[in-house]
Amino acid sequence: MATLNENDLKLFVDSIRNYLKVTTRQEPQITSAYLGSGDIEGFEFNGIVAFSGSHNGHVMVSMPGKLVREILLLQHETDLSDGNLLDAVGEIANTLAGNARKSLGSELQISVPVKMQGTQGMKARVRTRPYVITLRWNHYSAMVCVDMDRRN
Amino acid sequence: MRLLIVDDSNMIRTRISRVVQNGGIKGIALAGLARNGQEAVRLARATRPEVVTMDLTMPEMDGIECISALLKLDPTVKILVVSALSDKSTAIQALKLGARGFVAKPFTDEELQMALLEVADVR
Repeated sequence: MATLNENDLKLFVDSIRNYLKVTTRQEPQITSAYLGSGDIEGFEFNGIVAFSGSHNGHVMVSMPGKLVREILLLQHETDLSDGNLLDAVGEIANTLAGNARKSLGSELQISVPVKMQGTQGMKARVRTRPYVITLRWNHYSAMVCVDMDRRN
Repeated sequence: MRLLIVDDSNMIRTRISRVVQNGGIKGIALAGLARNGQEAVRLARATRPEVVTMDLTMPEMDGIECISALLKLDPTVKILVVSALSDKSTAIQALKLGARGFVAKPFTDEELQMALLEVADVR
C-alpha cells in the first residue's frame, strides 16, 4: 500500500471548493488541511463513500445541520427533514468521490454513499492517520476527511 | 415529451424536476422519479418516457446496466447521464452504450437545462 501524495489530496480540496461554488455560487474558505491523528470530532450530518479497486479507504463529508439546510434552501428545496439533510451530505460525498476518478483514474471504484447522523460518526470510521480538510462556508464550519491508500 | 429522472439522491431528483418544471423547458413534462435502476425500468414500462436523466452510481441496479435495460425496452429513448463519475472513460462507456449526453456533477441549472434541451431536441 502507498499513501497518497500532496497532489492526490489537493484534488479533494479543489473538489469541495468547486462543489460549493457551483451549487451555491459561494466559494468556501479552506481553513486548514492536515494529517489528522484519528481522534477527530465530526459534525451532525455525515456522508461516507468507500473506495476500492486502485485505492482502498473512503472520503467523508461532515457538516452541521444549519450548513446543509442552507445548501438545500439555495436549491429551493422545501424538505428540510433530517433524512433529506443526510441524503444531501451523502450526495456531496458521492460527488467528491466520483470527481476523484478524473485524476486518480477509472480503476478507482466508489460505493454508494453511507449516511450517518451524530458527531461520533466520523470518529468511528477514521483510521489512524486521515487527511483532514476543514472549511468555512457562509459562517459555518465543515470538514472533509480523506482516508485512503493506493494499491501497489 | 415525458421525462423520467433516475438518481438515488432525493436532492438531485428534486433539483432536476424543479429545473424542468420551473425553468421553462417547454415540451418536457415529468413522467416519474426513480431511486435506482430497477425502479427506473419498472417506471419506464408503465410510463414510456421519451427522455431520461440517469445517475450512474446507484444501489440495486447501477446506471450503466439501466441504460442497456431502458434501450432494450425502447431503442428511441433519449438518455442524458448526470453523474459525478466525471472521468473520460466513464463518459465514453455511457455514450457507447447509447446515452445521448453527459453532464458532470456538480452542475448549474443552466448547464443541465442546456444539456436537456440538446438531448431532447426540443429547442
